[in-house]
Amino acid sequence: MSPHGETLTVPGTPAVATAAGSASVAGPASAGATTRRRRARWAPYLFVGPAGLLFLAFSLVPIVIAVALSFQDTATLGEGSWVGADNYRTMLSDPLLRTALLNTLVFTVGTVPTAMAIGLALAVALNRPLPGRGLLRALFFVPMVAAGVVVGVIMSWIFNPDYGVANNALRAVGLEGLPWLTSPRTAMLTLVLVVVWTRIGFCMVIYLGALQSIPSELREAAAIDGASRWQRFRRLTVPMLAPTTSILLILNVVFSLQAFDVIYVMTGGGPGFSTTVLIQYVFRSAFADARMGYAAALGLLLVLILLVFTLLRQRATKKAEELL
Amino acid sequence: MPTHAVPGRGTAARRLSRRSFLAVAGISVAGALAACSGAPTGTKHLRLSSWNIPLDLESYQALADEFVAAHPGTSVAVEVTTGQFHQWFITRLAADLAPDIIRITPQQIGRYAANGSLVDLTGAVPPEYQDDWSKPFWAIGAKADGLFGVFQHTDNFITYYDRRVIEQIGVDVPQSLDEAWRWDEFLEIAREAQRITGRYGFGYGWGGPETAYRWMPLVYQNGGAFLGEDGETPSMDTDAAVGALDFGRRWYADGLVSPANMSKSGGGAVGRDLFATGQTGLLLDNPEAIAALDEARPDEWGTTYMIRNEGEASDLGGNALAVTRSSKHPELAAELVAFLTSRANVAEFCRRGNWLPARSSLDAADIGYERHEATMQQFIDQATTIPLSMVRAQSGPYFSSLNSVFADYLDLCFLGELSPAECGTQMTEAMRSVTTR
Repeated sequence: MSPHGETLTVPGTPAVATAAGSASVAGPASAGATTRRRRARWAPYLFVGPAGLLFLAFSLVPIVIAVALSFQDTATLGEGSWVGADNYRTMLSDPLLRTALLNTLVFTVGTVPTAMAIGLALAVALNRPLPGRGLLRALFFVPMVAAGVVVGVIMSWIFNPDYGVANNALRAVGLEGLPWLTSPRTAMLTLVLVVVWTRIGFCMVIYLGALQSIPSELREAAAIDGASRWQRFRRLTVPMLAPTTSILLILNVVFSLQAFDVIYVMTGGGPGFSTTVLIQYVFRSAFADARMGYAAALGLLLVLILLVFTLLRQRATKKAEELL
Repeated sequence: MPTHAVPGRGTAARRLSRRSFLAVAGISVAGALAACSGAPTGTKHLRLSSWNIPLDLESYQALADEFVAAHPGTSVAVEVTTGQFHQWFITRLAADLAPDIIRITPQQIGRYAANGSLVDLTGAVPPEYQDDWSKPFWAIGAKADGLFGVFQHTDNFITYYDRRVIEQIGVDVPQSLDEAWRWDEFLEIAREAQRITGRYGFGYGWGGPETAYRWMPLVYQNGGAFLGEDGETPSMDTDAAVGALDFGRRWYADGLVSPANMSKSGGGAVGRDLFATGQTGLLLDNPEAIAALDEARPDEWGTTYMIRNEGEASDLGGNALAVTRSSKHPELAAELVAFLTSRANVAEFCRRGNWLPARSSLDAADIGYERHEATMQQFIDQATTIPLSMVRAQSGPYFSSLNSVFADYLDLCFLGELSPAECGTQMTEAMRSVTTR
């Protein structure tokens, strides 16, 4: 567990204990003490209430509706006919779903480790005193706050093979231009490059926070014990960052599975089906193909993938923490 | 604070203030909910939704204001259709919050006419209207079980050319529809244009995967059809359709068209951008290109008719107006649709927005376009070549799904991933899985 995690859990406990303790010291409960106790009892629910209501309205209820929808055949969000498990059976024999799943895997494997590795490298570099460090941190973070559609449009221009900056730069140094988005062999790679660029700032900021929470005494002690810079990074920093890495991994995988806007704008899933990913296929099934039931079943498949991944990752993190 | 001098005032004031706050909040929420509930005020309120084109929004509002002036006790608000159309419309229909009147393309209307999302306008639209629409244009809204929309304005594809390039080639530009360049002539001219520009011969006016259907006229020009006579049987595996695919494949195999200029890739109007920057000598595109070209290359371009082969055909662009099932005043909404599609108002709308009229009796002089009247007349003439069978295919109930299939397989064929024959067979199979669903 990180120092952060422990600190966060500690303050709540004495606060509640104090409130309860003060009531018992007062002897027979006065009206004021009863009110305070009641408030203390309800306070957590009041704090959690708004978020809980939002979760209920915008997550839980839609998931329940989606489950119901996945057993129906309906072109709209209205009346449909019950078809049992037909939508799930269709999934088993849908070649486009297989392509979309494979593309999703390639996209996720391409984006997640790369963005995290570059983010970590940048965090380590920008954790040291450097001139213009604040500006550099901000510059790396800017792509994360840019809207996906805007990024997609700008990148489409940059990677246009005819008048894009990317090919003009290559030609300027005597190289051949590349068919970035126009060939099934390079389109996915181009998308990965763009998405990694948007995400490294986020990884960098999270890692920076974690790096700054590692006590400098540990590094100094390791240095005194003769550990080289690489050994200190490998044997001390990386294990201390494990909980952060775990959270970042889950978040990045979720981001990759949900990556829609950039792909929709830049390639529309093409050329051919080469960049059609699962979330895009869900959208296409729902709105272009008007198969709401099937789209709901595909959406639940996506939820299932995320759940399984999160559980596996949590288990792995727990084991790693036990070993530490 | 002065209140501290009065014992107990501070607490009372705080309590009062909290109660006041809750009371004000409660009243505000109740008021807001009442406002949202659309409590009757005596005024019949209509909402009309259009694409986010500022000139058109102004035109609709100006015309709607005239309608309101003639119909006391009514009001009309013009709204913007946001985001992806089907997502936007389906969710609003589900919430029963769709606008009363919707501006909708021929390619989108079929699904909603078939599934009961649109109101039958038969009886609300004057019967003589039909006489002023060509059969294909009337068929966009007219289905077997009613009239679900009135086609307001259209656009289509003609050929833009770079004057300098055409002068260097030394070719005569067709002056009438029956002189339009045939495919083989066009490819020869395009090759010359490519030699002159040093990049590409021509561009095509796609604007994203949703506009894949803009290539469909080529199938009809070669005597083929997207769907058979019944409007439901996929027929992209016929010799004529495969021949058209082969023609399209040659555009890319011979380097006449940029590989970035395809429906699913490119990120916008790539064909138009390449023409505007002198990287192609020809462009097959709709009237929307005029504004961009006027800005980038004023007086350096000209227009002629759309290419043809065995037959003539051009793209089916434009929009219909339809009344949705969410409307609380469908009769009034239908009356507004009839008003907006009157001869005078179609002319006014097209003049302001540089659109082509859906009414056959209007020509460029009647409309009084501010610029490029001759070019606009070419577009109007070209509109007569849009085949009825293509209109039926594109405005049918399955077309939104079929258009995605068309986009997928055009990409694969043009990139050389599939031969034209393989593409025709596989596309037909994929289309069949949609139409037999």
